[in-house]
This record gives sequence, structure tokens and C-alpha cells, in this order.
Amino acid sequence: MEENKNKNNEHQEHISSYKEHFGTWSALILLTLMTVLVSVFGADLRTLSVATAMIIATVKVLAVGYYFMHLKYEPKIYRTLIIIVMALFVFFLVMVILDYLTR
Amino acid sequence: MTAAALPENNFFNAKKGIMSWLFTLDHKRIGLLYLYAILSFFLVGVVLGFLMRLELLNPGQDIMKPHTYNQVFTLHGVIMIFLFIIPSIPAIFGNFFLPLHLGTDDVAFPKLNLLSFWLYVLGALFALATLVFGDGPADTGWTFYAPYSVKTGTNVTMSVLAAFILGFSSILTGLNFIVTIHRLRTPGMGFNQMPLFAWSLYATSWIQLLATPVVGITLLMIIAERVFGIGLFDPSIGGDPILYQHLFWIYSHPAVYIMALPAMGLVSEIIPTFAQRTIFGYKAIAYSSMAIAFVGYFVWGHHMFTSGMSGTAGFIFSILTFFVAIPTSVKVFNWVATLYKGSINIEIPLLYMMAFIFNFLIGGLTGLANAALAADVHLHDTYFVVGHFHYVMFGGTGFAMFGALHYWFPKIWGRMYNKARANVAFALLFFGFNMLYFPMLILGIMGMPRRYYDYLPEFHGLNQIATVGSWILVSGLILMLANLLIGLKKGKIASANPWNGITLEWQTSSPPPLHNFDKLPELNEGGPYNYPDAKKA
Ligand code: HEM
Ligand SMILES: [Cu+2]
Repeated sequence: MEENKNKNNEHQEHISSYKEHFGTWSALILLTLMTVLVSVFGADLRTLSVATAMIIATVKVLAVGYYFMHLKYEPKIYRTLIIIVMALFVFFLVMVILDYLTR
Repeated sequence: MTAAALPENNFFNAKKGIMSWLFTLDHKRIGLLYLYAILSFFLVGVVLGFLMRLELLNPGQDIMKPHTYNQVFTLHGVIMIFLFIIPSIPAIFGNFFLPLHLGTDDVAFPKLNLLSFWLYVLGALFALATLVFGDGPADTGWTFYAPYSVKTGTNVTMSVLAAFILGFSSILTGLNFIVTIHRLRTPGMGFNQMPLFAWSLYATSWIQLLATPVVGITLLMIIAERVFGIGLFDPSIGGDPILYQHLFWIYSHPAVYIMALPAMGLVSEIIPTFAQRTIFGYKAIAYSSMAIAFVGYFVWGHHMFTSGMSGTAGFIFSILTFFVAIPTSVKVFNWVATLYKGSINIEIPLLYMMAFIFNFLIGGLTGLANAALAADVHLHDTYFVVGHFHYVMFGGTGFAMFGALHYWFPKIWGRMYNKARANVAFALLFFGFNMLYFPMLILGIMGMPRRYYDYLPEFHGLNQIATVGSWILVSGLILMLANLLIGLKKGKIASANPWNGITLEWQTSSPPPLHNFDKLPELNEGGPYNYPDAKKA
């Protein structure tokens, strides 16, 4: 948000509505249920069911960060930082797996 | 203006009693607590190094058994890395001077800061406790490589826990500095008006925050494997030892920039003062710190060229490593360009900074030799590596830290040490250092392996030179510390700004008052190092 950019670093308070909090919470519960269902009924999908679980988890992380941790209100720089951190983490995994697969 | 007495209100006499130190929330006092603690552990590490050099004076067993030697170099490494060089500059000078540089009265989270200090002490106690508990200190090397670290009978669990706890201390310090830099800059100070030391701490803090958790988890995995026999790293129970090395170096390579970047910040800070001239290429230096921190995450594999990592990965990591040289050279170029045509005032802090540049150049260039895949196959695990990292960490960061101690001594204690004695100490340190470590580079190229208590007869001569070098170095250290201790008690009262420095810490009295500034400090027009023309002449 624009007003957060001011030089004196005044902290801006934000109050999110109950609706938003509750909506996010319900979505998280639903997604958790989905993870359980996929692992119970989709067990024979093997890799695919793991991938589904990971994708659902990622969506949950994003929701928590965006709504509960107020990334929504923060200046862009914080979102950029989080993306850099995630990219780093992916790089770690990719390089380690690359070494393993080409050994 | 030379005052005859110390200012009446300073952070030393603001509160009295031992408790006012142990539980202080003042960033300056916490910085000093770190100083005393870190220097004490440094001395323990020096004694261990000195003993190893004595053992290596002659071939064969002299003063310790092979097993003891293995424990000694491990403890020496653990102490020097986790207790000395990683915390040193950020925890001591970062704590003391970051708020002063930003023109504010403390770090963002003073209580967290105190917690970091006590975690540091706790971790240090764990490291030292390995001396008396269990089967003695670990004998794995400071890297705790699996599967040996899972199998050895020595007290690896405790050493690893020590490193784990110290990691937390480091993370919290990093977090504190990041928030402080984002939130507490004095009104009107944008990122590009910050002193370069603050920039380097900013880059460093991001490494502490993002990389340290990786080693924390990895060390816990070692404990899990030792205690519960989970097969993570030990191939005999289904683990992958190279996975350990990946995880360990994902932290520990960026960690070498935790050691190097703050030192580079000090050089960028101190050179303009003694050249009485604006730093050359402010933005290039500031952003190259960020670039080094960033690129530093992508190069860890260069420690594993000979470990059985795949050729493809080795090739990629070798190329990536060369990229770090670019921002590093940018800095060296800018330092030299700052000195060029400056009105240079050769004082002791500047000597240490020039020693940094000299030693770090040797350390950095030998690093490139290690980074070259083909050369490293020969050099890996030889004394060349031991020489290389001592040049970077000790000759570089260690010397920069000593220089900072001499630079800010009058600000911290309000007194001046004896300069003649400080010069002699510097000469001994510089000469002794190079005499101790340069022969190691040659020994390594000749093929002498590291981490052995013994060597072949053809290596005798150079080893003797190195050991004599360690004696000179240690005499220099003793003289330097003694001189500073005497100066602290009896030194002449120094003025508030003896070096004619221009960053904000020089605007307040020495020692500074509890809340740092009696009135809001004034920012320089046109950047933190913008010396007015009059002073240039
Ligand atoms: C008087 C000062 C010092 C002396 C005489 C000294 C000497 C030595 C020696 C002889 C070794 C063992 C080489 C081997 O057998 O492989 C060693 C290892 C090491 N030193 Fe030093 N050193 C000193 C200061 C330092 C400093 C200031 C640092 C760090 C800032 C440092 C970091 C290390 C590390 C990380 C190792 C490797 C330990 C391992 O192999 O696990 N040393 N040093
Ligand atoms: Cu490295």
C-alpha cells in the first residue's frame, strides 16, 4: 500500500473483516480435507497423489501468507522477498536432485 | 577540542553493577559482552592452533597422539568458525555501531538481542563441555561429515548441539538487524544514505536468516541418525552421505560470506576516513554486497568436487563459483580507487585495512584455484586449502576485525592506545601471519594432506617455517591485546572524533551516552562519505 512507503516508517494498522478471516479458515479446512481424501482414495495414483498433496499444501501456504500474515497489505518488496526465498529453495532442491540423477 | 576527562554521562556509568551488564538491553553493552566473550574463545582457539603447529614442528609424534590431534583440529575449527569468526564483526561492531550509524537509539528488538547473546553463551558452553563429558570432543573435523560423524564414539552429539544453538543466536541477530535497517533509519536517511557497513550487515543478515536454518535441520538429522539409527546419511542403513554434504554446504558456503561481507563493510567504512575522501563507487560497493550474498547461495557444490558428486553438477558449480569473483573484484577496485589521490593518513586502522586487502587477495585468488574443477582434484584436502581459508578468514576477516577494534577504540572507551606499540604489534601480526600460512600453500601444491598429525620428511623445512611463523604471530597478538588493555585503563583521553570521521557515530561523545545522541544527528549533504572540499586539501 502506498502509505506504507513513507520514510518515517510509521506502522499502519489493518483490520481485516471477520468474513475474510473466516473464509480463509474454511478454505484451509476444506483443502486439508481434500489432502486426506486424495491420500485415502487416490493411493494407487502414487506419484500423482503426492504431487496433488504438494500442490494443495502450496496453495495453503499462499493463503496463510496472503491473508493471515497480511502480505496483502504490505509493500511489494516483501512479496518480492518471499518469491526470492521460494526460488532459492527450489534451486536447492533442483541442484541436489540433478546431482543425484546424473551421478 | 580535547576534553581532559571522559563525558559525565556515558553508557558505562549510566547504570552500575554486574546485573546491569548481564541483563542489559543496551546494544552497546551487548556488543561489548560479545567482544569479551568472543575474544576469550578466540584465545582458546589460538592456543589449540598453536599446539597443533608445535606437533607439526617435526615429523612423527611429538606432543600429542593422532587421535588427540584429530580432536584438537576439530575443536579448533568449531571454536574458530562458530564461536569466533561468524559472530565476530556483526555481533560486536554490528551491535555497537549499527544503531549509531543509523542515528537511532537501539536495535529494533533489544530483548531478542539479549537472548541472542545468551544463546551464544549457552552454545559456547556446550562446545566446551565436550572436553569433559562423554568420550571427549568430536574428532570429525568441524564439518561433521557423515557417515563417520554417525559412527565415531566421540561426543559428536554435544558438539553438533552446540553448533545448532549457536545457529539460533546467529539467526536472531540477523533478524534484528534486518528490521532495524528497514524501520529505524533516522528521518531523511534512505537506503542509499546508509554507511556501507550497514549495507554489508544488511546483506549478511539475509544470509544468516535464510541459510542458517538449513544447517540447523541438518545437524538435527545427524543427531537423529546417531540416536535413533534413522538411515539418512549412512549408506549401510540406506542413507546417502553426499546428501549430508549438500545440506551442510548449502549453509556453510553462504556462511563464508557471513564472515567476509561485514569485514568488507569495515574496509569500505575505514578507508574513506583515512583518505579524507568520498568512497569511490558507493552504489557499486553497496549492491555488490547484495550480489555476493545472492550468488553465494549457488556455489556450495565446489566443496564436493571429489566427493563422488556427478560430473554434470561439478561442472555447473565450478562455473557458478567463478561469478562470485566479479562483485568481489568490484569492491577491491573501488577501495583502491578511493585511496588514489586521497590525502592519505597512515594510521593503524588503515594499516589493518590494507593488510586485509593484501591477505584477502591471496585468499580469494587461491579460492579461484580451488574453484577450477581440474585444479581442485589435485588441491582438495591438502594444505593448500588450509592456507587458503586461513588467508580469507584470519588474514581477511580477522585482520579487519582487529583494525575495527583500533578504529573504534576511542569511540567505545573514550581513550587512545599507545600507537607506537600498536604499530609493532601490527608488524608482528602481518609478518607472522604470512610466514605461518604462505608455506602451507606451497606444501599443499606439493601434496601434503590436511588433518594429519604427521607428514613425510620432504615437507619438514616448510613446516618448520610455518611453526616459527605461528610464534611470531602469537607474540603479535599478545602485544596487540596487552596494548589495548593498557590503553583501556590508562590511555590518553581521546577527543570525540580523533580520526576526523564523518559518519554519524562521530557526532556523539566518546563513550556515547546511553541513548546514543543528545540531539538528533545531522546527515551529510550528498551521501555518508561526502567530505567537504576544505578537508580534502
Ligand atoms: C594462531 C592462530 C592459528 C593457528 C596457529 C592455526 C593453525 C591451524 C592448524 C595447524 C590447523 C590444522 C590443519 C590440519 O591438520 O588439517 C588449522 C585448522 C583450521 N583452522 Fe586454524 N589456526 C589459527 C587461527 C585460525 C583462525 C583465526 C581461524 C578462523 C577464523 C581458523 C580456522 C581453522 C579451521 C576452520 C580449521 C579446519 C579444522 C578442520 O579441519 O576441521 N584458524 N588451523
Ligand atoms: Cu565454498
